[in-house]
Amino acid sequence: MSVIQLSDVKKQYANNYVLKGITLNITAGQIVGYIGPNGAGKSTTIKILTGIINDFEGEAIVLGMDVRKYPVEIKQKIGYIPEQAALYEVLTAIEYLRFVGKLYQLEDSVIERKSRDLLQLFELEDKANSRMNSYSKGMKQKVLLISGLIHNPEIIFLDEPLSGLDANAVILVKEILSQLKQSGKTIFYSSHIMDVVEKISDRIIIINKGEIIADGDFETLKLNAQQGSLENIFTSLTGDIGQHQNTAEQFIDILKN
Amino acid sequence: MDKLILKVVLFFAKLLVKQGIDFEKLKTIVETKLLIDRRRVYMNWRPRQQKENSNPLLITLVIYTVFGLFVGVMVFKIESFVICMALIHSYILFMMALTMITDFSSVLLDTTDNQIILSKPVNSRTLFIARLVHILVYLLQFAIAFSLLPVIFIFIAYGFTIGIASIGTALLTVMFAVFITYLLYAVILKFSNEQKVKDIVGYFQIFVTIFFAAAFQIMPRLVNFNNLLSIFELHWYSYFLPPVWMALTLESVKQLNFDTLHLLMIACAILLPLLTFWVMIKYLAPSFSKKLAALDNVESKKKDLFRKNANHINLSQKLSKLLCNSKIENSSFGMVWKITGRDKAFKMQLYPSMAYMAVFIFVFVFKNGQDFNQLWQNLPTTKMFLFFAYLPIFTIGSSIGFMSFHENFLASWIYQSTPINQPGQLLTGGIKALLTKFFIPIFLTLFLFVFYVWGFAIVNDFVLAFFNNIFIFFLIANLGNKYLPFSREQNSKEQSGRILYLILQMLTIAILVGLHYLIVENNLLIYCIIPISAVGCYLLLKRLQNLQWAQISF
Repeated sequence: MSVIQLSDVKKQYANNYVLKGITLNITAGQIVGYIGPNGAGKSTTIKILTGIINDFEGEAIVLGMDVRKYPVEIKQKIGYIPEQAALYEVLTAIEYLRFVGKLYQLEDSVIERKSRDLLQLFELEDKANSRMNSYSKGMKQKVLLISGLIHNPEIIFLDEPLSGLDANAVILVKEILSQLKQSGKTIFYSSHIMDVVEKISDRIIIINKGEIIADGDFETLKLNAQQGSLENIFTSLTGDIGQHQNTAEQFIDILKN
Repeated sequence: MDKLILKVVLFFAKLLVKQGIDFEKLKTIVETKLLIDRRRVYMNWRPRQQKENSNPLLITLVIYTVFGLFVGVMVFKIESFVICMALIHSYILFMMALTMITDFSSVLLDTTDNQIILSKPVNSRTLFIARLVHILVYLLQFAIAFSLLPVIFIFIAYGFTIGIASIGTALLTVMFAVFITYLLYAVILKFSNEQKVKDIVGYFQIFVTIFFAAAFQIMPRLVNFNNLLSIFELHWYSYFLPPVWMALTLESVKQLNFDTLHLLMIACAILLPLLTFWVMIKYLAPSFSKKLAALDNVESKKKDLFRKNANHINLSQKLSKLLCNSKIENSSFGMVWKITGRDKAFKMQLYPSMAYMAVFIFVFVFKNGQDFNQLWQNLPTTKMFLFFAYLPIFTIGSSIGFMSFHENFLASWIYQSTPINQPGQLLTGGIKALLTKFFIPIFLTLFLFVFYVWGFAIVNDFVLAFFNNIFIFFLIANLGNKYLPFSREQNSKEQSGRILYLILQMLTIAILVGLHYLIVENNLLIYCIIPISAVGCYLLLKRLQNLQWAQISF
């Protein structure tokens, strides 16, 4: 069953198309890695799918509902975790989760129980009553992750979910994503950490300059691009092959002189 | 100016501290920090409407110099030389200590230095002296601003010798102020944690803002109160106070009196500031730096607290359950209640305007130059209770605007990513929190006072005024752009229509107060209008609650 459908979606900012006709179909229970260079249109796609941006061309359907017509109903069933840990940092983690939980219309007792248990799971119980302005980036990212999942969403959109997390937390998040997939959740996430995308994604979509340039599981992409790793596939497809090597060589030359 | 003072401070630093300091690195660090400061604005230096090329430090220095004028005139007003000098030096000590706490806490308590500079080849002693030099560059400018006019007046009133001596005592007072502040921080850090220190600094900053807001109005009036100053007398314990040492030192120079008391005071005045400054550099500051470095790694054990708080329902939660109609309103109420209690920028905007309430009462009700007893006796015969009844809206009305600003305004992404159908409820939840937290307590306090003075007869007027105040509050929220709580950047450039909006606001208040004044004698009419005003409040609230996304500004 298809839970995400994009048909010829275009989006322009100041006469410049950042999405040039994206068409996608994602079935339930998949982990989709959505990768691309900076400015490729990854975040714009996610914002359209999560109902944050509604002025675009084409059609976007999430869980059978048009995102332009039913943004609130869709938001109730999805979770979104942005890359930047923008939080009201003068609140404590528990207060922030209480605030977000209520926005998702959860019962107070459910919010309290889930917040407490999830903070404990992420080893944040000692800091639960401290204001978040004293947190490290990784700790804030964990609170952000909890706030996006607290209402048990059917689809989870993650924008760079691993940025700022320590090694243990990265392993934990990877494991959580796998478990979420097993419980039937659909995960759509963009990341720069290629080896993680390579390992956990059922399907990888590469976007460049507003267009999808590759779509398939890792084995298919590897076969098509004749490259051994996702990193190499990515650089060969986005046209940067050889350029990184040249830049690195120049860098060393400058240092030496 | 900075560079010149830096040269002077470095010259003295080289004389005082020789071992273990790399002066080239020290200079580089301080110069870089001064450059960063020019691009970052400290809290108290920031005027409300900051322009691109304005120099907030210079503006503050000018304001402090003007403050010095009020203190300086005491030289001509107070007959007792010692008391006059003690007051001037108390002022310098007080202002310097406050400036250290309010404006330089971020420099003193900055732990990022440790991460950035200590990872480079700089020893901790150089870093510490750099921190001190950095602060001294500013402190000297502030010290000049505080003491310039008082010292000039001393020159005029008492001649060259006392004038020169007063420069010396002023500098010694500054040194003592620096020591006191360090001591204060050291004590707080010893018994508390980083958050507590930040909180205490925050309260000091709010206090200073309120103090200045009130002082600007009240101080010029106090200058005329000659009689007030006669109450200052020297008691035995006064001799333990640094300003008194300075005053008696100047007196001994003036009278060429070197008896035991004066010699003792001279010794205290000169030796103690130097000694304490030396103790600070040698012992207090290094341990202070270590404590600061340790702050980064402090893991407070709050497991028990976490458990305890899990089932604890606090006041804001109880009130929000009582006053809010939906979960969205409820959540916004809780957030606004909490953040307004913690966000320094919000408090620094709202609390001074609340302090102005006392100033308004002082200026309009207890007018200067009139006999207080007579005023108090005549008060029940006036209609001044209307002034008290509508005073809250003048000061609290602006809080709706303040509520939309926040340093972490980007965090408002959460409103758009969560299933919110009627974003107006986020606004009404916040407005209800503001009303409950700030308006109602103030209104009730004023009501109790008015009830005490005027008696039962004014109750109906206060009930009407209660609804009218809320009506105006909701009207302010309905006028102009509707921003969600904490969704705007503080320095938002968008000011268009603001004047018109303020005029409209004032006009509405004036009309409602004027109408109330006209019918104040007609009790029956007041009882008839109360439900009309209440219905008006309800309708305006509903209008806000039903706001759609398209009507919300970002």
